[in-house]
Amino acid sequence: MVDAYYPGSLAEALELRTERGAIPFAGGTDLMVKYRRPAGVLPELPGPVVLLGHLDELARITEEGGILHIGAAVPLSVIESDRRLPYLLRSSASQMASPALRNVATLGGNIGNASPAGDGICALAALDARLRIAGSQGSRSISLEEFITGPGTTLLREDELITEITLRPSDCTRVFYRKVGTRKANALSKLSVCADAAVQDGVITDIRIALGAVAPKVLRMKDIEESLRGSTPEELSERIPDVLAAYEKHIRPIDDQRSTARYRKTAALRLAEEFLRNLSEEENRE
Amino acid sequence: MNDSISNPVRRVDAYDKAAGYAQYLADMKFEGLLYGRLIRTPVSRGVLTGVELPEMPEGYRYISAADIPPGGENRIQMIKSDWPVFVSDTVRYLGQTVGILTGPDRQRLHELASKITVHCRTQEAAYTIEEGLACRGGAIHGDDNLFADFHLKKGDPEAAFSQADRIVEDTLETGFQEHVYMEPQGITAEWKEGKLVFHASCQCPFYIRKAVAPSVHMPYENIIVNQTTTGGAFGGKEHFPDVIASALAVAVYVLRRPVQVIFDRREDMLYTVKRHPSQVLFRTALDAKGRITAMDIDARLNAGAFESCSPIVLQRTIFSANSVYDIPNVNIRGRAVATNTVPSDAFRGFGAPQGIFAAEMHMSHLARELGTEESEFKRKYFLAKGGKTVTNGTVREEVLLEQMWSRAAELSGYYEKLKAYPPGSYRGIAPAFYLHGGGFTGSGEQEIINGKVRITGSKDGSAEILLSNVEMGQGTATTFSKIAARVLDIPLDRVKIANPSTARVPDSGPTVASRSIMVVGKLVERAASQLRERWGGTSDESVLVQYEHPPWIRWDQETLQGDAYPCFSWGVCIVEVSVDPGTWEVETLGVWTGHEIGRAIDEAIVHGQVIGGVNQALGYGGLEKLELSGGGFAQHTLADYSIPTSLDFPKVTSFLVENPYEYGPFGAKGAGELVFDGAAAAYAAAVQRAVDRKVERIPATPEYIMEITEA
Repeated sequence: MVDAYYPGSLAEALELRTERGAIPFAGGTDLMVKYRRPAGVLPELPGPVVLLGHLDELARITEEGGILHIGAAVPLSVIESDRRLPYLLRSSASQMASPALRNVATLGGNIGNASPAGDGICALAALDARLRIAGSQGSRSISLEEFITGPGTTLLREDELITEITLRPSDCTRVFYRKVGTRKANALSKLSVCADAAVQDGVITDIRIALGAVAPKVLRMKDIEESLRGSTPEELSERIPDVLAAYEKHIRPIDDQRSTARYRKTAALRLAEEFLRNLSEEENRE
Repeated sequence: MNDSISNPVRRVDAYDKAAGYAQYLADMKFEGLLYGRLIRTPVSRGVLTGVELPEMPEGYRYISAADIPPGGENRIQMIKSDWPVFVSDTVRYLGQTVGILTGPDRQRLHELASKITVHCRTQEAAYTIEEGLACRGGAIHGDDNLFADFHLKKGDPEAAFSQADRIVEDTLETGFQEHVYMEPQGITAEWKEGKLVFHASCQCPFYIRKAVAPSVHMPYENIIVNQTTTGGAFGGKEHFPDVIASALAVAVYVLRRPVQVIFDRREDMLYTVKRHPSQVLFRTALDAKGRITAMDIDARLNAGAFESCSPIVLQRTIFSANSVYDIPNVNIRGRAVATNTVPSDAFRGFGAPQGIFAAEMHMSHLARELGTEESEFKRKYFLAKGGKTVTNGTVREEVLLEQMWSRAAELSGYYEKLKAYPPGSYRGIAPAFYLHGGGFTGSGEQEIINGKVRITGSKDGSAEILLSNVEMGQGTATTFSKIAARVLDIPLDRVKIANPSTARVPDSGPTVASRSIMVVGKLVERAASQLRERWGGTSDESVLVQYEHPPWIRWDQETLQGDAYPCFSWGVCIVEVSVDPGTWEVETLGVWTGHEIGRAIDEAIVHGQVIGGVNQALGYGGLEKLELSGGGFAQHTLADYSIPTSLDFPKVTSFLVENPYEYGPFGAKGAGELVFDGAAAAYAAAVQRAVDRKVERIPATPEYIMEITEA
């Protein structure tokens, strides 16, 4: 038997986390696959689950003072079509799984599952997302980057739930999103590149590059990004080889049933280069 | 609109399937049903030393080789009978059946199954063709690991090689392919009034009857096989259902209760048969003018752990190893190599796709080497009427490939694109040409099958077709009905055709080898025409007809010489691609195909076959990577084994050229496999042109394309 709880409120859901150790179930598209058993046999979940998809508190997208709050249980199909959300996030949501799965899969679930190939995580990493975590002792805020510690591991405590993802406004308009999947749709990522940048008065004022599925967690190198801020496109052009060399040192992909380490590394670097090259060759449009 | 039989009708099975009324095996209810779980070996090679069972609750049983009834033998009767029902000592592949656990509750069954430990002494296994040929760990089969070793000779290759100006060598490889029929493998067996009755998702009901008879030592008349509405097969349900049925036969014989085994997708992907991986080595002699004077071909198939139908698959590979080309002097050796993988078996094309991929890519490589445009180079060698095949048989029909080529080239804008995309421009377009021999290879139709078909006419004006070829999604229920309705001159809805039962229908042979329409459809046409002579729609009449071999055929099964097939179906395919220079992902921009299949019995059904076959072949050529990992398959879920989605490949432009065949109904020849045979080679050759590097194997994944371009 699998016990599944259907709480009436977030408070009740937190209580179930604390008292029963219930596993957060926010769509279940990873859990039901991970713990599936043959036809006619119940999934072997390691404990009771607490269903979250129906909770209003977790299913809203709001904007307050320019900050976007995305409920952890908002389905991907809503995210891909909400024009308030950054294009990078919508692009990545729209290329995850299939329409049927996107109707139930959630961003909070994607984060909680913490797969190195999680497409939502890569986009959110590039957007400097923070998470709101609720627990029995109150709530806290943490950056996504800090929250995910490795493949399948996070800093979520046993009495906690991810309640929302928060995004600060950004000036970035040079968006680059490439998912390299096993095929063109309904595919898992071999690797992905999420990047964006802002250019003002001929100077790069902001730049973020996140590489997915090429290391135990999404790779973002803020020191490099910092060093590129203030550059002109021409200056960037000269820096590209050094920048790529720095990324290369930190890309540590694996060989698996979907791709090879060498391919992941080479393609990720090529795509990062494509983004930087586009940016450096850009005419001053401002 | 003319009244050609080719005009599409609504498929007779369309409504029930689209509306959800069709009952598949898993939908059927059986009184007192028990479920069965196959218990499998945990190693690829070794010796079974024991099975540790948990305590069995009431109603649960573990059945194995020890339960085979008196007189029964532990073997599955396929062409050979080397594949045992249950492992009793030697283990040949990972996941081989050791026993079957039965019981009323699947949850309980799963818990019990997870408590069974199968102990084996492990031996060194051979997985690849190279390891099989080297007899790694000692021979698995005979003393050389060869299930078959065939030799063909046409002309005088030795003389041609001795006079060669130069010799070009090439090695082409293809991988495993999984069928991915929508409905996984499944059978329910029951004991009814002293008879063993099977309800099976299958292609060949009479094969199952033959396969299980030795294990339970029962005569054919006491074994009944009913085909259940089958959700796709592609060759995967030709022989593999025999494996499940044999285990079920023993279980039901012992229990006298209905038992059902339905695989889940993971089990189906890990432990059922696959397409044979291949390795084909070419040595080609060229004269001073760059003309091909001779070829020496060494084709090897990874046959897996048991023989199954590998020698016959291999025959088709070597008979296809010159594709549509008339090469004057040829030496061919073909070997089916035993390894410790799941046995390789039938899959749409049955060995031809491997031979044709190799031949087409080798011709493509020769054109590159000689600096000649690929289509021009290939067309110089087209077989023509009266031409000789590699088995020294004769091409009897007019070959319309030139006409098909002109049309395909025009539709695709081939010559303009060729100019616009020079080699290495990351855009490419390329052709493949192919053929498929109709019906069984060699003497199978007259010496082994000798198919029979019955048609009965009733006094209510309806007629029923009785034959053993199954509808499995490919449209035969409709096409057979159309043939009968047309000949009997009655409306289509007055023709009945049901899923066959061996208790009711004559044996018209298996649903394989693109023979259903050409061979069995001809029997339907003949039976209907005889029935029409004496049935006015007001009486009950019945006609049984039997196969007659076209009289001109000469074939020697010992030497594999003569007309391997009575006729061929022909195809041309052009594929256009672009390759992303950053990720080596391939975008297929266009696919144009033309086929000559005699005459289409239903153009819409043939078009469906073309779209499905071409997409399945493009998946084989570009996406469907299936790698061995510790004796099993690394990709064993639909998340990791990538079959094409509707976004992966574009619309397929398709046309047909008519060339009626005398011994096919209304002139029809086979179509179902032909449409698979060429697209993978066209795809690979287009990628090759785009990146200006030789493509030597499929699937040509982005990882592989990176390897060859960055080498």
